Amino acid sequence: MKEAALWISGAALAFFATAGAFLLLANLGTGPSERNLTPDPPPAESGPALELTLTQDRLASLRALPGQELEVGVRNAGDEDLSHVNLTVEVSSENTALSDARYYRENVNELPAGSSVPVRFYLDLSQRESTIGTTSAPAVPEPPRKIIEVRATTPEGASAIKTAIVPL
Amino acid sequence: MKCAALLTATAFLAIGCMHPDQETSIPPLSAAGERVDPGLGPEAHPLSSGPGYKGSPSWSPHGDRVAFTVDGYVVDKPVGTGNARRWTTRDFVAEDAEWTSESSLAILGAVSADEASSSVYRARSGEESLGVREVAKEVLAMSRGPGGDGLMVAIQTGPGESELALLRDNGAVDWIYTSAIGGRVTGLSLSPDGRSAALAVRAAGHTFELHTFDLRAGVHRRIAMLDDGLEIFGAPQWTKEGICYVVGKEAASVDGGTAPLYDLYSLTPGTGGPQPTPGVGEDFVASSIRVSPDGGRLAVIGRLNPNAPVNLYVLDLAAQDLEAVTTNEDMQIKTGPDDLAWSPGADSVAIVARGALSDEPRVRAAPKRALLEDFYNLYEIPVGDRGAAR
Repeated sequence: MKEAALWISGAALAFFATAGAFLLLANLGTGPSERNLTPDPPPAESGPALELTLTQDRLASLRALPGQELEVGVRNAGDEDLSHVNLTVEVSSENTALSDARYYRENVNELPAGSSVPVRFYLDLSQRESTIGTTSAPAVPEPPRKIIEVRATTPEGASAIKTAIVPL
Repeated sequence: MKCAALLTATAFLAIGCMHPDQETSIPPLSAAGERVDPGLGPEAHPLSSGPGYKGSPSWSPHGDRVAFTVDGYVVDKPVGTGNARRWTTRDFVAEDAEWTSESSLAILGAVSADEASSSVYRARSGEESLGVREVAKEVLAMSRGPGGDGLMVAIQTGPGESELALLRDNGAVDWIYTSAIGGRVTGLSLSPDGRSAALAVRAAGHTFELHTFDLRAGVHRRIAMLDDGLEIFGAPQWTKEGICYVVGKEAASVDGGTAPLYDLYSLTPGTGGPQPTPGVGEDFVASSIRVSPDGGRLAVIGRLNPNAPVNLYVLDLAAQDLEAVTTNEDMQIKTGPDDLAWSPGADSVAIVARGALSDEPRVRAAPKRALLEDFYNLYEIPVGDRGAAR
């Protein structure tokens, strides 16, 4: 009886030793070609955060005339100071057949972290003389709205954009 | 002894199964490319974006591009991602555009707003300039030719008189049907077998008539005449179950205001007079219709009743079964007669829609070219086999 138990234990030990050795060899053999599957890095934070604000009340007071004041709020929501914040405003018609876009540019030299500044633009929202009467009226049966697209960028790579659609 | 054996075996197993490095879970892919729900239902897929008054979608023969009008000029773009390609100058005034091959468009319109009448122009992709070639003058309506080849046009030949002509893909006149039609053709479509055409005609006295034109025999006949004050809206659609057309009454009281009211009628030539199209319901208000390429289904933009929202429906004409394929949430779906189009495979319909207009300024945190609901844009609405005879 004791001899039988000894034989069984020996056989089991030999079995596990052999299986373990094979598993060990298998791992050693595939080691060099194996590569970690790492997930794609999450979208990088855009560094210093810029925020733009266009207030509804200001937009609602705009008229289809020259010299219309548009105030854009620019805020540094990040924790690093920003310099040379470039602001561009494009004013265009909803009617894309009209080539009447106007462009405006301003610059904010310093914008400390957490601070905000108002930047004023004086826009000409009148229709260009060259486009008066040239609208494809049969194709567009309703008066086009003005589109005001505001972009802010910094040399550090921060950016923000706001687009206002303004019935005039 | 037994314990030593078990410990040894466990150690070997642990070593063997151990991964050389710590296992890291892989997060699911980002949702890039997922459908945007613009308020037409989760399956709606935008085909365009940005400002511009868009309309008249038309799928290319292979279904991989869609052409449409924007503020009067014509562009096309891939159904997937890709930039729009302009086909005409910006001062063009296009009413409709139809593909005549994978590389050419027939455009009904005028080179400027000063033109008194419309012509058909041929435009080819890949040409350096945006020049178009006028191939037919005084054109009242157009439709793809039999079998999708060439173009069938209705031409005004005199005051209150029209004729049909078949143009080849290259714009050359293939055939002129000299049987004059009394009146101005206002809408035109071919039968599913391509042997006949259904015409909406504004006859003398401004009464509207429905005609059929046998393209083999070159003869036409009036099959219906509408009462005074009623008009046929858009092109009648020749289906497997007869000719369907939208009849518009001048105006009806809706929500305290007035709005045009349209009914959908069907007529099977030779079997009796017009009947309300079965399957849509008594209160249904149809605006624009388009028959599927196989002639068995009708895409309908309309309302279940005068106070219901506008939606896109697909009507199985044989089964008389109407199914909504959009779930409109405060969107304005364009209801012009050419503002919907079946894809060549009949698995999608393109429509034009925008969000409800507001008198107040709106501010979006996106560039204008990426905006959707603020402007009329094209949407692909998958319909699969919905509305198909089961």
